[in-house]
Amino acid sequence: MFEGRRLLVAFWVASTPLLRGQSLERGPASSDTLAEPTRLRMRADSLLREWRRANTVADVVDSIDRARAWAASETMSVGSLRIVANPSPLPLHDAAARVWRVLDSLYGDEARHFERRPLFVVAVDPDTTVARPVVRGGLMVTWDLDADTLALLLLANLHPLDVDPALVAWLGGSLRPTVHPERQRARVYVELVTTPWAVARDCFLQNLEHCGLALDLTRLDESPESWLQNPAERRVVVSRFLSSLSRGAQARAFHDCTNNNDSACVVFLRSIPREAVPRPLTSEARKTLVDVALQLGGRDAYHRLVANPDSPMAARLAKAAGVRIDSVIARWRAVIVASRPASVALPPWGLWIAITWTVCFAACALRSSRWRVN
Amino acid sequence: MTHAVAIQHLHYRAGKRFAIPDLTLTVPTGAIYGFLGPNGSGKTTTIRLMLGMLRPAGGTITVLGHGVPNDVPRALARIGYVPEQPHVDPTLTIDETMRFHAAFFSTWDWPWARQLAATFALDGGQPFGRLSKGEKGKLLMLLALAQRPELLVLDEPTEGLDPVVRRDLLAAIIEYVSQREATVFISSHLIHELERFCDWVAVMDDGRLAAEVPMERFKNSVKRLRIANPPRTPGDTPFVLLARESTNGRAETWIVRDWAPAMAAYFERTGSSLDDIIDLDLEEAFVEVLRAFRARNR
Amino acid sequence: MFQVLLYTQWKWSRLIVTVGTVAGFALPIVSVQGAAGAARNPLETGALLAAVQSWGALYPVLAAALGLLVAIATWAPDHRGRHVYALALPLPRWRYVLLRFGAGLSLLAAPALAVLAGALLATASATMPPGIQGYPVSLAVRFALAVVVGYAVFFAVSSGTQRTAGAILGVIGLLIIVHIIGGVAGVDLDVVGRLQGIVLGWPGPLGIFSGRWMLLDV
Repeated sequence: MFEGRRLLVAFWVASTPLLRGQSLERGPASSDTLAEPTRLRMRADSLLREWRRANTVADVVDSIDRARAWAASETMSVGSLRIVANPSPLPLHDAAARVWRVLDSLYGDEARHFERRPLFVVAVDPDTTVARPVVRGGLMVTWDLDADTLALLLLANLHPLDVDPALVAWLGGSLRPTVHPERQRARVYVELVTTPWAVARDCFLQNLEHCGLALDLTRLDESPESWLQNPAERRVVVSRFLSSLSRGAQARAFHDCTNNNDSACVVFLRSIPREAVPRPLTSEARKTLVDVALQLGGRDAYHRLVANPDSPMAARLAKAAGVRIDSVIARWRAVIVASRPASVALPPWGLWIAITWTVCFAACALRSSRWRVN
Repeated sequence: MTHAVAIQHLHYRAGKRFAIPDLTLTVPTGAIYGFLGPNGSGKTTTIRLMLGMLRPAGGTITVLGHGVPNDVPRALARIGYVPEQPHVDPTLTIDETMRFHAAFFSTWDWPWARQLAATFALDGGQPFGRLSKGEKGKLLMLLALAQRPELLVLDEPTEGLDPVVRRDLLAAIIEYVSQREATVFISSHLIHELERFCDWVAVMDDGRLAAEVPMERFKNSVKRLRIANPPRTPGDTPFVLLARESTNGRAETWIVRDWAPAMAAYFERTGSSLDDIIDLDLEEAFVEVLRAFRARNR
Repeated sequence: MFQVLLYTQWKWSRLIVTVGTVAGFALPIVSVQGAAGAARNPLETGALLAAVQSWGALYPVLAAALGLLVAIATWAPDHRGRHVYALALPLPRWRYVLLRFGAGLSLLAAPALAVLAGALLATASATMPPGIQGYPVSLAVRFALAVVVGYAVFFAVSSGTQRTAGAILGVIGLLIIVHIIGGVAGVDLDVVGRLQGIVLGWPGPLGIFSGRWMLLDV
């Protein structure tokens, strides 16, 4: 974006004294008398001052450039969401409304911070033969997009609010808003049912304690295999997911584990980093738990969630939701179970459509076959 | 109803090469109507138009009092049809074919059908596809006769069959007609076969009707006349002059139709001399009629 | 009349219908063979569903094949005899075609019922993990509908004259040419893709064939 130009300007400003033949060294002519470290430190300070001056100039250039590029654009506001875009048939308002609903649902009052993060959108003609403008710092989209797709694009390009590393590590990724949470919950339902891990299946069968284990909120002990309930699971995990770690001292344990030696499996699991052992449920499942906690906690829930990054995850979620973690987990399970997807791909009206087409084609046969002999 | 089949100003076109421009013919009820014509003259096309298998471009067709093609199912229920080519499913046995056919015709006569099968020496368990040509012809005739039709439409039923089979088939037709006052419409180019039992004959050529007369009249009234000093222009003749051919400059040979002995007076009036009257058999008469027809329409 | 037509239809299609019936009965049973016993490994739930889904792809193939072959068998003898025999029968043409259609449809009930029987047997004998359910009736109904629609499509095509077949092929060819010309000219027409979506998606004629065919599912 503007980085290339910024670097160019900074380089030019910083190198001007050299081009003029000036030396950046400011010290007594007899440099032999100054210690080398001191001389170098002074030189570094000088360079730093020049670099800061160059960045300031580059910022000015950037803002002038941006102002010129977006001079003909309009700014749209939906809630705290700001979108700058050129006039076009794009269903921007509709998409922005969807995006804002999602942001507001996730962040609550904290969503006001998006005021300072406007989105720049350039709508262009879908006809590829028409020349397109050069876009600096914006999102280029064709104006034949539907609102749903546009909303997905806007969300994908929107920089989410920063969260602490502990939350990111527990989630397994950043906390991003979702346009279609019902689809996400359906996927988590399928995951719960089809997962090979006993703790996750027990969670589906209403064992809330195992839900906490499966969601990596509670741990029976510090052993990495605490959520691997039986020898078969330990062997499958080791053989399917951890074969790349079987080297050196772990190779023997890996080999014995794959040959049905459970003790060897335990030894192997304890010898590798905990983070290498795959967790029973995916980040999507943990994301849905966060969603439930935030919904329970109201508009201030997100603020409470990120307020104490050093607390255990279970405590943070409970505080965000305003209820005990058991209740949060129970509520989450109920929501997921209620999100069971429709399984057989035949809509209710599919029967009538099939019959109608059958009648149509039969009628074509009746019509087409009358005059045959020629 | 006096006519089993009445076709009025029938017009039909098949592609660019063949057309029936304007056909009118009637088949009297109870007649055995022979439909003659060379190959490609339009006999099978006419039959298919009669049976509603082809859609005419103009004209009217009435079969047994039913308009064709609008009311053709009712007409077909009273018609026994033997097509030019075998049209039965070759995978069905003779018995299966008879059962299939019987299901569609309420007038089907099973005892009569079995009797015919015995007469024709047909083995009921044989698949149709494995029958000889003669046996296929017999089965098709059986199917047409056993439904006790009022009108038999036979499209070259004895084509390619040996004399014994032909005799058997014709005997069956004659027997059926003698039992019941049925009308027979039979097309063929085997003229001598039709001569024996048809009482009407029509000659078709290139989509047009060249002649339609009672058989006796066709057989007996077409003559070859040798004439000396023939008149330059025939003028108004009491007979139908089909063709005239010069033999040696002063004599001519005339082919005439509808000849009667009293017509010899015509030549006396014109100063000619009628030297000889030669009877033509049916085949010769057919050829001369066709030749004259083609010459007129050239 | 229907009886004799059914008899001849059976004679022409008995091999197809018999093979189709056996295949229809066996397919559901084979697809859940991983869940046949109580000692099934609970770690294989995902693999079980994946296997069911893989085998499920054969249902629309079987339905289409049955529809195609029975429709061809329905019309083949008439085509061979140039329809002269049928046109000489004393019943309206539409009634004859309807009887033929009904005869073929009656025979196709056998494979559909076989799928139902096989699916019921398969779900009854399978030990299903918690959260997994069997859908034998839904699957069998969908299979029956697919067979019927496939048969109707191919019946209509088979019944047409050469001119009709030529017209259909001509239209398809024209669409392909337009699609190609559009691509060369840089115009985004995507005729083939849109047509595919219309035909294979709901409420298109072949929408019944699209989607997952799952005997066991969540």
